[in-house]
Amino acid sequence: MLIVVDPHSGVPVYRQIMDQVKFHVATGLLKPGEELPSTRALSSEMGINPMTISKAYSFLERDGVVERRPGRPLVVKAHEGGALKDRKIEQLRESFAPTVRMVKQLGINENEAIRILIDMLSSASAGDTDRERENEK
Amino acid sequence: MKVVEFVNIHRAYKKGFDVLKGVTFSIEPGEVVGLLGKNGAGKTTLIRIAMGMLEAQQGEVRIFGMDPREKPIEVKRRIGYVSEDQILPPFLRVGEVIDMHRGLFPDWDNDMALRLSERFGLSPRERIRSLSKGQARQVALLCAVSHKPELLLLDEPAGGLDPAARREFLETSIQLLNEAGSTILFSSHHLTDVERMAGRVVMIHEGSILVDSDMDALHEDYTLALIPRVNGATTKKIIAHEDCLSVRERSDAMHAVFRLDPSRTAAVLERDLGVTGVNCRNVALEDMFIELVEGQE
Repeated sequence: MLIVVDPHSGVPVYRQIMDQVKFHVATGLLKPGEELPSTRALSSEMGINPMTISKAYSFLERDGVVERRPGRPLVVKAHEGGALKDRKIEQLRESFAPTVRMVKQLGINENEAIRILIDMLSSASAGDTDRERENEK
Repeated sequence: MKVVEFVNIHRAYKKGFDVLKGVTFSIEPGEVVGLLGKNGAGKTTLIRIAMGMLEAQQGEVRIFGMDPREKPIEVKRRIGYVSEDQILPPFLRVGEVIDMHRGLFPDWDNDMALRLSERFGLSPRERIRSLSKGQARQVALLCAVSHKPELLLLDEPAGGLDPAARREFLETSIQLLNEAGSTILFSSHHLTDVERMAGRVVMIHEGSILVDSDMDALHEDYTLALIPRVNGATTKKIIAHEDCLSVRERSDAMHAVFRLDPSRTAAVLERDLGVTGVNCRNVALEDMFIELVEGQE
């Protein structure tokens, strides 16, 4: 499984599991219809209380990320309409939250913060093209 | 029915030196409870009282609704117990120790014992005295769980084990939980293990319960506030707040634990104490434990 739990983070274990499953769904690593490991299997494998896994799974179900069919393993739900895009945006918003707090705390002007983000994005895509060129060689 | 019930437990080893000063809590079937506290806080004493190895001088203990001192056999038959200082007869062979336990428990599950023995790589011919600490503890665990006990009492079970052996121990306990739905009460100084395994935490400090909380709530609804030593906030004023559990003086700040989530803590500090710009955060169990325990002195 693609989940790692960090007991030093201060984030409850069930949240860490939820966040990682959501992230993998948003990136497409976990595709619609794909099965999640059973509560038992995951808890034995990770050495984690099975109740914690069940809690994470039922919240994921509540959030419409996975679905439970009677007698079958839990699977990733199909992305209806713009659901996949929505999930990606949700992920991004969450990861921007600490940045937004930092911008406020440092007292940096909003336009300046946006300009820095755009700069960083364009140098990251420049890096990508460099790498593609490298690969072609 | 409750699996474990402690009601107002008192225990002193000598007059005037109380180890437990009125401990009350109970455990429902299937719960996994981590018992935390500094050395000498009374964890081992409490677990021994649950086992019936020690008697409470005041208060009541009920295991499956029975007094473990009155019905020692009925109670012990349904319990698995592992402790750090448990001693297996050094002159016996591994196989002999296992056979001895098999004879004691009518519900012994041979398949499970074999599976664990294979998983741990134990050889039945080997003498207990030639085992490493980790292997000896694995024999003790095998013997404690192979009758699929309804209640597992683990007193610092991973003490002195290396990280791999500890993880193996943890996984085996979890497996038992999955297979037999056992209830677990365990004490440990490895708070990362407690974080993985426990659904609930009971912290004991100087013989009394300091915190008894759902593990997730301890993360989400408890906050560590790092309060700069400016604008007149004093430890006295902070600790006087009804939601403040502990305050600790650090070099340039005060560390306070509040029984509120971070944003409400920040709001309370601003409204009631007039302190702004406080770093309020959720913290890992280990940090929370240190703040709470050290903040009591």
